[in-house]
Amino acid sequence: MTGPDAVFPRADALAKAVGAERYSADVTPPGCLWAGVRRAGVAHALITGLDVAAARATPGVVAVLTRRDVPGTNRQGIVHKDQPVLCGERVRHRGDPVALVLAESREALALALSRIDAAFSPLPGVFEPAAALDRDAPYVHPEHPDGNLLAYGLVEKGDAPTALADCAVTVSGEYHTPMQDHVFLELPNGTARLTPAGVLDMVVSTQAPFRDRFEIAHALGLNPWTIRVRAPYLGGGFGGKDGATVQCLLALAALNAGGRWVKMVWDREETFLAGYKRHAAVMRVTLGADADGTLRALTGSLLFDAGPYAHLSGEIMALALEHAGGPYRIPHTRLEGSCAYTNNPVGGAFRGFGVLQSSFAIERLMDALATRLGRDPAGLRLQNALGRGEPNAIGVTPEPGAGAAECLTAVLAHPAWTERAAWKRQAPPFTRRGVGVTCMQNAMGYGRGLPDAAAAKLELTKQGTFRIYNSVPDMGQGNASAFVTMAAQALHQSPEAFALIQPDTRHCLPAGSSSASRTTFTFGNALLGACRAMEAKLRARAALALLCDDPARLILSPGLVTDPATGAAVPLARLGALLPRDDRLCVDQFVMAVVENPPDTGRQFKLGFPHRFYSHGACLCAVEVDELTGRVRLGRCVVSVACGRVLSLEGVTQQVQGAAAQGIGLALFEDPALENGCMGAGDLSRYLIPTALDLPDIDCLIVADDEPTGPLGLRGMGEVGIHGPGPAIAQALFDAAGLHVTRLPVTPEDLLSALGGPE
Amino acid sequence: MSATIRLQLTLNGVATSLDVRPGRRAIDVLRDDLGLTAAKESCGSGECGACSILVNGEVRLSCLMLAAQLDGKDVVTAEGLGTAAAPHPVQAAFAAHGAVQCGYCTPGMTVAAVDLLARQPDPDREQVRRALSGNLCRCTGYGKIVDAVLAAAKTMAEEKS
Amino acid sequence: MIGAVYCPTSLEALWPLLADGAHVLAGGTDLLVAKRGPASCAVALLEGIGELAGISEGDGLIRLGAMASHATLARHPLVRQHLAVLALALETLGSPPIRAMGTLGGNIATASPAGDTLPALLALNARLELASAKGRRVVPLADFLLGPGRTALAAGEIIAAVVVAPPAPAALQHFEKIGRRDALAIAVASLAAVIATDAAGTVTEARLAVGSLAPTARRLPAAEAALTGQRLNRESLTRAAAAIREAVSPMTDVRASAAYRRQAAGNLLLRLTPQP
Repeated sequence: MTGPDAVFPRADALAKAVGAERYSADVTPPGCLWAGVRRAGVAHALITGLDVAAARATPGVVAVLTRRDVPGTNRQGIVHKDQPVLCGERVRHRGDPVALVLAESREALALALSRIDAAFSPLPGVFEPAAALDRDAPYVHPEHPDGNLLAYGLVEKGDAPTALADCAVTVSGEYHTPMQDHVFLELPNGTARLTPAGVLDMVVSTQAPFRDRFEIAHALGLNPWTIRVRAPYLGGGFGGKDGATVQCLLALAALNAGGRWVKMVWDREETFLAGYKRHAAVMRVTLGADADGTLRALTGSLLFDAGPYAHLSGEIMALALEHAGGPYRIPHTRLEGSCAYTNNPVGGAFRGFGVLQSSFAIERLMDALATRLGRDPAGLRLQNALGRGEPNAIGVTPEPGAGAAECLTAVLAHPAWTERAAWKRQAPPFTRRGVGVTCMQNAMGYGRGLPDAAAAKLELTKQGTFRIYNSVPDMGQGNASAFVTMAAQALHQSPEAFALIQPDTRHCLPAGSSSASRTTFTFGNALLGACRAMEAKLRARAALALLCDDPARLILSPGLVTDPATGAAVPLARLGALLPRDDRLCVDQFVMAVVENPPDTGRQFKLGFPHRFYSHGACLCAVEVDELTGRVRLGRCVVSVACGRVLSLEGVTQQVQGAAAQGIGLALFEDPALENGCMGAGDLSRYLIPTALDLPDIDCLIVADDEPTGPLGLRGMGEVGIHGPGPAIAQALFDAAGLHVTRLPVTPEDLLSALGGPE
Repeated sequence: MSATIRLQLTLNGVATSLDVRPGRRAIDVLRDDLGLTAAKESCGSGECGACSILVNGEVRLSCLMLAAQLDGKDVVTAEGLGTAAAPHPVQAAFAAHGAVQCGYCTPGMTVAAVDLLARQPDPDREQVRRALSGNLCRCTGYGKIVDAVLAAAKTMAEEKS
Repeated sequence: MIGAVYCPTSLEALWPLLADGAHVLAGGTDLLVAKRGPASCAVALLEGIGELAGISEGDGLIRLGAMASHATLARHPLVRQHLAVLALALETLGSPPIRAMGTLGGNIATASPAGDTLPALLALNARLELASAKGRRVVPLADFLLGPGRTALAAGEIIAAVVVAPPAPAALQHFEKIGRRDALAIAVASLAAVIATDAAGTVTEARLAVGSLAPTARRLPAAEAALTGQRLNRESLTRAAAAIREAVSPMTDVRASAAYRRQAAGNLLLRLTPQP
């Protein structure tokens, strides 16, 4: 076993660094066709006319397809199938597609798309989730039985209303978190063709190749077993490729391309327009405590803007409710959640989904309570941090592990905290400084109701090396490389002995998506099972060659199986050459354990509720506010994390820093400027993510922890780091400038108003 | 559509002649025609830096260049900096220092770093951050990228001495 | 979409191309973003016309070729030594690759209200040398900028150079831009100042200009007057800041509200307040 100081260079890093790695977007078969979509550009309307004659007549155009050309249900969606592949009668947001063009060149495609004449009869739109739930609001889906209420849920523990009434002190707030775009750098894209054998062969930048087959098959009336999806390394995903982007449109294009390759790439503006986003949320919550700060009760309601299609809105809301109490001990809770259909962009998966929203609310409430009680915000959190074996806000006792208190303590020992007073005193002219620390948590896995499963295949090659058939896409988080590290350790081989086959539904075994901090845990466990089978097999087959009657005593070492009793050895290359292919393969599978006796609450949630495993962390942000402009600069950021044992310090640090950077972006920069369903910040000159000059170095602190059921003791942690910066920055801005932040992102304007301007 | 013209250029050290329509974007010629896919397109408007290449030794955004502007130039893409078997010190440092996650920004980042180190062989962290500020990364938070560039500067200085 | 591309190597070769309707392509950082649509247009590259790129000094004036890139200018000793306000502005413009490609003439011709070099050049009393088949004329930058994207450039005419008289060596040169982030940021508001003082510290001449606060980058005569004859202190700067807020006519967009811009515009001048 290797300690947390071990650094394993990522297996994928060098090929990517020299530009040799081929992403989906790098696949451009010679002579391929180009496909693209005409989008509505209006938020809510009936389609009254669609004249594609001029587009069809454009030189180089191969086909122009509309709703009438879509076989199957024309409905896509991960769980709830409510999103058309091509809209025929009605458009429900500005990015809805109405026609699909196939052309010989990018230029012909662009010209043809501009020549499609679409006529719309505008319908009244609904752009505020609260207004969407009014009785007389226009309906986004008139056939939906609950009007614009897509989903509702209630979680309860104890008797929160009564407990709240008895509290010595209560604090309330309304908190807003924004819609957020993933801004993965590899734009949504794919390449597809229909082979002569009738297989729809696709290479897609996707987080869920195995599920994609079913979604495409359902929408287009195909047999899922005739669809092959390959998922090379992704140029970022963050949840934004866990669901429909190009898949169905591209498949439809390939069905109409006469067997030729077709490529579809959304441009950046189209991705802002049509890609799904993190849900904006409005949370009204009340927290009650005893006079000594002991938490008693939490109540409130959370409202999510689902946009016009379900995606995973209900499941995301469930996760928000599950995390709404934070990593704190709260005996009585009552929290309602609603998702409203609107004509805004589609809400969907994004790193830390649901959790990010409700974390902001509970952490802000903790700060409000600290202010009310005249307490230090960190001390109040330590006092109430959930301990091992204690039930969380919905009554589930998570698997024991290091928790918020340990994580917070680690951050409080950092010089950025212990030396904060001096740092603040040294502020330059026109600058105010402040420091905030908050806690974070994120569950791992899908939760109850659907198997969080993966199957792994491992092959001994004829040359005596190994091939790992990875089933879970690597969107950059490094899971593929982690699999090499795990297998190399398990089989006592050098990492160079392993080749990785990236997800390919033809050659790899099925697994769930690359999401939910589950990837390394679930597939890793399956792979370790396959490694154990491989080790037993290699011993048994080597025993034949070594004339050894006790295979258990044989030892695996790089490239060899050795009998310590005789000193004789057989090279793996010889075993590889001898064994038939069927005998060179080992497979195993794993399903993540779920909560065994779930509390009788959240009955509306059939899928993904509740969760058994949590990773924790704490975050410090030190801010500088310019008094003249209200500009905020993040001076320091420290994040601690408890995520089981550390397989790769580099990998954990990468995830923590990257997640924190996205949390900082959401807190300070990323304002979608949504108005009447239109993103005012619809390109990269207006939707601003942090540049290298906008972020400090982010310190990552590892808290000692172990997860006995995890592969090599680890637990998933790809998401948890995103939750800290928003609330920590908010707390720091109160410290620096007395600003009560209730809404992200914080703008310079908010701060200039709070400071009142220097006079 | 206008006719094609013949371009003569040095591409990753090799004298190359290309027949292309002059108004096409340089990035499309590199990626679609020549299979040089290290330069990536992520915005098409100069806001992300993923398409960075070196032209006559200086960083350029290949999404904001026309094919005709490659004529007569010395063009280097990330493929021309090094290979997995023989990486450029900057590329090796990115791999060794955890600067690569999804890797989509990485070739552009390495080009910007090579451009910096040619002018400023011994930069400090702030200068590295400034030099890379036209290259967006959504995965890393940049810290390990800065580490990698500083490490590469050190390696390159040692190689010179 | 770009159709025909012409690569003239002299101005004489350029004029007929412009007469035929070709667009001028300098650095391409604005034009090629604007021309991404399906409509085809012809462009004439200026990069092959050597005389447009030079940076020189003579007769007490500094001449900046329109095709000089932002990066070249920001590194050039003449700019660094004499035109610090412009160097500061250039360092905030776009990003390193944008500065390597974009040109001074391009930034001026685009005439964005947020063009980063424009307030600095206005504070330097810059004049533009315009060239066409008919010859050359010189126009003050302040008269050249007519509105967002609108200039006094005639058909068939290009910007050949920017001519600046360097301020007195002791003059204060200051530039600050408010962006929503520290690179790749379009100005929310910017202020350029060139302020000359006498030996006693009294302002003898103040030239102030702002960006992103009016339909064009513009000078601020009332605020300049409020400083002239005064010492630079909290009181005089506060009065001038009020005059700035009075003079500007900002708009609200996704980056900031008009009210914020107005407040911040004055505040930017207060940065010059002497610190104890």
